[in-house]
Amino acid sequence: MANKPQGRSHQLLQILLYPLNWLEERTSLPGRSGIVGGIKYFLFRKVPSDISWGHTLGSAALTAFIVQAVTGVILAMYYKPDPNSAYESIRHITDDLWAGWLVRGMHRWGASVFIILLFLHMGRVFLYGAYKYPRELNWIIGVLILVLGMMEGFFGYLLPWDQTAYWATVVGVNLQATGPFVGPFLGDVLRGGSEIGPDTLARFYSLHMLVIPGALAALIGLHLWLVVRIGVSSPPWSPTEAGRPEPGPPPAPRKGLVAPAPRNGLAAPVSRGARRR
Amino acid sequence: MNRRLEERRAYHARYKQTVKTRGKPFFPYAMFHDTVMSLLVVCLIVALAVIWKYTANEGTGEHDSGWLGKLYDEKADPGTTNFVPRPDWYFYFLFYLLRIFKWPDSVILGTVGIPTVALLLLLALPFIDIGRERRPMRRPVAMTAAVLTIITMGVLTYKGATAKEPLAAENLVLVPKWAAKQGFAGNQTAVDGAKIFAQVGCMNCHTYLGAGTSNLGAPDLSKIGKTSNRGVAGFATYVSDPSKFGNNVMPQFKDLGADNLRKLGTFLQSSGTCSPKTDTCPAAGGQ
Repeated sequence: MANKPQGRSHQLLQILLYPLNWLEERTSLPGRSGIVGGIKYFLFRKVPSDISWGHTLGSAALTAFIVQAVTGVILAMYYKPDPNSAYESIRHITDDLWAGWLVRGMHRWGASVFIILLFLHMGRVFLYGAYKYPRELNWIIGVLILVLGMMEGFFGYLLPWDQTAYWATVVGVNLQATGPFVGPFLGDVLRGGSEIGPDTLARFYSLHMLVIPGALAALIGLHLWLVVRIGVSSPPWSPTEAGRPEPGPPPAPRKGLVAPAPRNGLAAPVSRGARRR
Repeated sequence: MNRRLEERRAYHARYKQTVKTRGKPFFPYAMFHDTVMSLLVVCLIVALAVIWKYTANEGTGEHDSGWLGKLYDEKADPGTTNFVPRPDWYFYFLFYLLRIFKWPDSVILGTVGIPTVALLLLLALPFIDIGRERRPMRRPVAMTAAVLTIITMGVLTYKGATAKEPLAAENLVLVPKWAAKQGFAGNQTAVDGAKIFAQVGCMNCHTYLGAGTSNLGAPDLSKIGKTSNRGVAGFATYVSDPSKFGNNVMPQFKDLGADNLRKLGTFLQSSGTCSPKTDTCPAAGGQ
């Protein structure tokens, strides 16, 4: 009788965990963890004890990308990729729709924030020398993400079909056409002909909302997978830099401060920061 | 070579070991920082959208611009030629490169050459900088290169952002000065051509006797009648559709119409070929 409540809570826990166990069993191989195990590993994997705000720029850029994806999906519901109605549909979104200006404004300015965060993230990686062995491949993927991010900006710029957009794109495509060998061909492919018109707009729209975002999402996934697999690097100037050959005994006082058992998830890092000072 | 690889592997093995024994779990420690930062990013984006909306007026005029620019520009009109080709701010550095390199000799350096080399260097960075040292103070070459890159990009972006294209009205007042200096004041067709030149956007990319802006590698046209010497009809054909002459950067101006193109051609042919002393333009059909 005495252990009845315990048994009941145990039963309750089993019911709550059932869907997770179901999912795990159907996504795992014998002896290997499945999706639930993978998420658990992602969340509870160890990271160097000395990482801090500098390491948040990558996830900040990811957040900006998600903002772009969400606002972009909403804009795509109302935007019309046709020279006769594109401009009017943008005005309709901005002026008539509830919070339409907010969604468009977030998409427009989110693009700049995304690019800035990509550059800052790249600067942080450079400063930390974090592109060195074994993270060379992830640097290359990161550069590709930056290039694709800027291409998103280029193709998205035409979509409002206003004077600035139109003429900047005319010149931009013409400039690409000056390239040797493939240049003129590339210009014609981008324009969908010799002049910028309905075909160009449809083409840019497709590239802007299907092709490049798809490629970006795939590269970001790969980038994150490598980050988790290889691990993030310590700040190189940290006294407890992970991986540095240790000349003497490890600095004892830090032991025990590094990873106290999390009692209150949010309070712990704050108190840790205070202790460091 | 093998020793280097072994050292690298040993470093990474030590890294993994240190993280395993002395690391902290991602959740909640690192995730706390990430969450705070992500919230800040979303707040920043919303704040920019709100500032953009509430400091701007509805409308497309010059005075409707708020702190972050207009809500919308005028609808695209392929018929107009008085445009200012201005990309988004993160392309300003490329945009400004094209003020440095001129059409047709070196423009390809600005459009393709330098950006391609820069991108390849960026991709190849981990294979150029192969030392194990990660501390910035002990990587003087890498840090100097980085600082120079940041300064270059910053200056090019700033120059691109503050570069101003002249207004048509500002150019128009210069026409009598041009006519006197170049000696085509007596040729009314050339003067009319100069007025068209000043107004339809030529000077957003070309310079003329120190006025206008040098953009996208476009050359100075002060002496174009002498250096290029295509003749009135030749210039008119060229301006009508530059792509026929292998110039794919300059837009077509055939919408100006044959009469205006002839005037423009006369003006261009007069530039550098007239005699200011006798006020005659033999090559441009003047007196």
